[in-house]
Amino acid sequence: MPDNIYLPKLARVAHIKDEVYGERAIKTFRVEPVDGEFFEHECGQCAMLSIFGRGESMISIASSPLIKEYKQFSIMRVGGVSSAFHELAVGDVIGIRGPFGNSFPIDDWRGKNLYFIGGGCGLAPIWPLITTAVAQRANFKNITVFYGGRTSRDIMYRAELEKLRETVDVHLSIDKAEEGWDGYCGFVPAAVMDKDPVPDNSIAVTCGPPIMIKFVIQNLNKLGFADEQIYTTIENKMKCGLGKCGRCNVGKDYVCVKGPVYSWEELKNLPEEY
Amino acid sequence: MINIQDIRDTARDMLAKGEVRAVIGYRRGSRGMLAEPAFITDPEQANELVWDPTCFHNLSLYLVHDRKFLAHIRKNPNAPVAIVAKGCDARSIVVLLQEHYFKREDVYIIGVSCEGTGVVDERKLAPHLNGFQASNAAFDGDDFVFTTAEGEKRLPAREVMADRCLECRIPFPKEHNAVFGEDKTGRQLEAPFAALTRFEAQEAGARWDFWSHHFDRCIRCFACRSVCPMCYCDECVVDSITFPVTHETTAEEKANRIRWIERSATRSENITYLMTRAMHLAGRCTDCSECERACPVNIPLRLLNNKMEREAREQFGFEPGASIGGQSLVASFLDKDPGDFIR
Amino acid sequence: MEKILDKKHLDGWIAALAEWDVLGPVLEDGIWSYQTASGAVRLDHPNTKQSPKELAFPQREIFFKFEQIKGEPPKLTQVVPDAQRHVAFGVRPCDGRGVPRMDLVFNDHVEDNYYQARRKNVAYVGLACNKPPSPNCFCLSVGGSPVSTEGLDVQMTDLGDRYFVKAITETGKGLMTAAGKLFAEPSAADQKQVKQVHADAVAYPQRAIRNPDGVPAKLKASFKSPLWEELAQSCIGCGICTFLCPTCHCFDINDEVQSKAPLKGQRVRTWDNCQFPDFTMHSSGHNPRENTGARLRQRVAHKFQYFPENFGMPQCTGCGRCVSECPVGIDIVTVVNKVVENAG
Repeated sequence: MPDNIYLPKLARVAHIKDEVYGERAIKTFRVEPVDGEFFEHECGQCAMLSIFGRGESMISIASSPLIKEYKQFSIMRVGGVSSAFHELAVGDVIGIRGPFGNSFPIDDWRGKNLYFIGGGCGLAPIWPLITTAVAQRANFKNITVFYGGRTSRDIMYRAELEKLRETVDVHLSIDKAEEGWDGYCGFVPAAVMDKDPVPDNSIAVTCGPPIMIKFVIQNLNKLGFADEQIYTTIENKMKCGLGKCGRCNVGKDYVCVKGPVYSWEELKNLPEEY
Repeated sequence: MINIQDIRDTARDMLAKGEVRAVIGYRRGSRGMLAEPAFITDPEQANELVWDPTCFHNLSLYLVHDRKFLAHIRKNPNAPVAIVAKGCDARSIVVLLQEHYFKREDVYIIGVSCEGTGVVDERKLAPHLNGFQASNAAFDGDDFVFTTAEGEKRLPAREVMADRCLECRIPFPKEHNAVFGEDKTGRQLEAPFAALTRFEAQEAGARWDFWSHHFDRCIRCFACRSVCPMCYCDECVVDSITFPVTHETTAEEKANRIRWIERSATRSENITYLMTRAMHLAGRCTDCSECERACPVNIPLRLLNNKMEREAREQFGFEPGASIGGQSLVASFLDKDPGDFIR
Repeated sequence: MEKILDKKHLDGWIAALAEWDVLGPVLEDGIWSYQTASGAVRLDHPNTKQSPKELAFPQREIFFKFEQIKGEPPKLTQVVPDAQRHVAFGVRPCDGRGVPRMDLVFNDHVEDNYYQARRKNVAYVGLACNKPPSPNCFCLSVGGSPVSTEGLDVQMTDLGDRYFVKAITETGKGLMTAAGKLFAEPSAADQKQVKQVHADAVAYPQRAIRNPDGVPAKLKASFKSPLWEELAQSCIGCGICTFLCPTCHCFDINDEVQSKAPLKGQRVRTWDNCQFPDFTMHSSGHNPRENTGARLRQRVAHKFQYFPENFGMPQCTGCGRCVSECPVGIDIVTVVNKVVENAG
């Protein structure tokens, strides 16, 4: 069968980086196609990654669509498949299907201020958006990144964020004060309020733990952001990625097809089943 | 003969006085004659309760649900739950009590005796109704009376009774707080284990063919497991669908979980599923036969459970659910236990 | 193409379909199921216990096999469904209407190769319901009818000693032409009789969902209704309702490992069920549908709200299987009526 939608392409792990250690460890994997080329993707889309014998898992693509040679995935160790990923070594071969889902409408945001608000591993899904926006810096007005971890050791993409400071405003935060931390101490929603983002001609994109997203959106509303100016991504358990297996739906939408990117204007009208 | 109004009055009084927080019983369902489980908390609803030959459900399952729900919301029961229980159901409750699943004071058993009869087996009834669907079923002495569009149909109960009821030795709920109906223990409609004995008269080859055929037919809907009050484990070893994951469950625990059987409904997986379930019910199954009734493809599961029950009885003199103080089969050792199977 | 087939010629027709695997309803172990016809086929069944959906969407489908020697890249070999053509006889109109609904799911957005490979080799010869075969039939409430031809290739109507046989699709014409000599032209009296039989069938009383057109909006308004919890209180969370359903399509995908070193196994699709507790549970333990109320709501809303919103029709054909077979009496007709009524 040509174009078998369930048959993954093979990809080789070219590089592995430890982002966060401990119980909720995060590693970033750079994978390259074993033969031929990869599919093209857009900011916010996901891919189904396989470790044969262990299973498949839907992971957001964390590298910019502008990078064609490889794709990058940051995976938190949570369950069976993600644990298997954490056992991989450079050179190992995995399976990949995709791209799945919709994307951030970045082209509609030209000439606007962009606020990116991430927490925990929620930086990964919006990282392609941040890096693409930075690569096309001239297309946008101010770009501001808020990102927080529980502790300083939970901050992922540390080096990349430091490099980002050269071009855009980066505000890092941790939940509780630590010795040697000169950034904001407190939860991400409060860190956002602290800097008073302006809603005029702005878009805010937030991703992180559900409770963080909830309060970030509340605070953005308080600051005057309209619901259609706020974007987020949601996740649900997925198996096929194609709107058929029937488990990721939120109301009439299959998140794997209609999501994962939603404006708050759209999302608030869907049942809260995510 | 049981007057349902007596049960309703008891339920209403207890609810009105706040002696129980709910009454789990039977009410008329919306599809034909069949009764369905009822969860009554308002005294006014007590009149919905029914008692008829379609009250086959073993409601003790819902005591298990209730216990799990309370554990989930981290609350202790503030009053017992009352439950309508037949002989077999009451023995299930006793097994749950033996296993300390809940406390005796947390449950108020409204016993109902299966007097001359038991419950109907829909599969046996169907050919008697000429394709008509009954809208009502009632006990009348040794008969069942069904109402259909053709009029009333009276059938000797033993012609359409479930096998488990025909072979039932103790149709009376010995463990109870209140009880309705006469104790007809000792009535003998069919010998105990009659169906099993008939089955076992066959050659081994024929028996293997029989089970291979039936194991192949299982669609793994898990209805037998889900309807069984004894299958209360939070994590079921034979089934991939229940694994208690909380926010505290570590990635290691999830990753290292052994998947004993695959989801594919193939013979090997089905055998492992059904046989393991039967083993885990040894000395616990009280022959309510809800698994067999629930099975949408008519796998004769009762034969498996009966086999275990008879082994327990013949080898160890064990009667599941006989008394709360009694030991459970697999957690007890007696000097007189046979050891001849150890080689 | 409309013809008359004497009942005694049914087996002759089936025998003429040599290229096809012909399935007919068989009563075995107390239940009706579609089985490959060997000998005479009788079409006096009420409805089969399981719908014929498994012909295009089997409970287990192997996608591919994988093999890997340590240190080497894995080898994948896709498994393609065999090309045997299957024709099911005696398909009831509700199950016929299940077919286009499954087609919508598996062809929407992208085509499912496995479903499609099987589907194109399946034909459905329907049998109109002269009267409802189950007391829980409600096809008229979901846009169907006991004489609907939707999804069928051929429709047969029982006229006593003969069948009125009508080709619906080109495939259906082909099936009839294969045994052309056995069929006779219908007389004016036959035409009149079939009209009458159909009219009587439609007039036969059924269970009913009240005001079916208003159901999607009422369900939408009832998402937070406490009624769901109450209606699902007795639910045991088994898979009967969805596994027997002619339109339920949810599935799981797993790797089944036969050997660890060298790694050998296969990736397999199996039916899944939204009523199982872990169906939507995230790896973290978070479960968007944590209790039976939320899961019952999903099953009902998917069929009567989400599917209509996406495809303009309910994803229920009123076969009544989930009603008749639920071990604890959860009745989708009653559930929909109660929720709608409660929504005011």
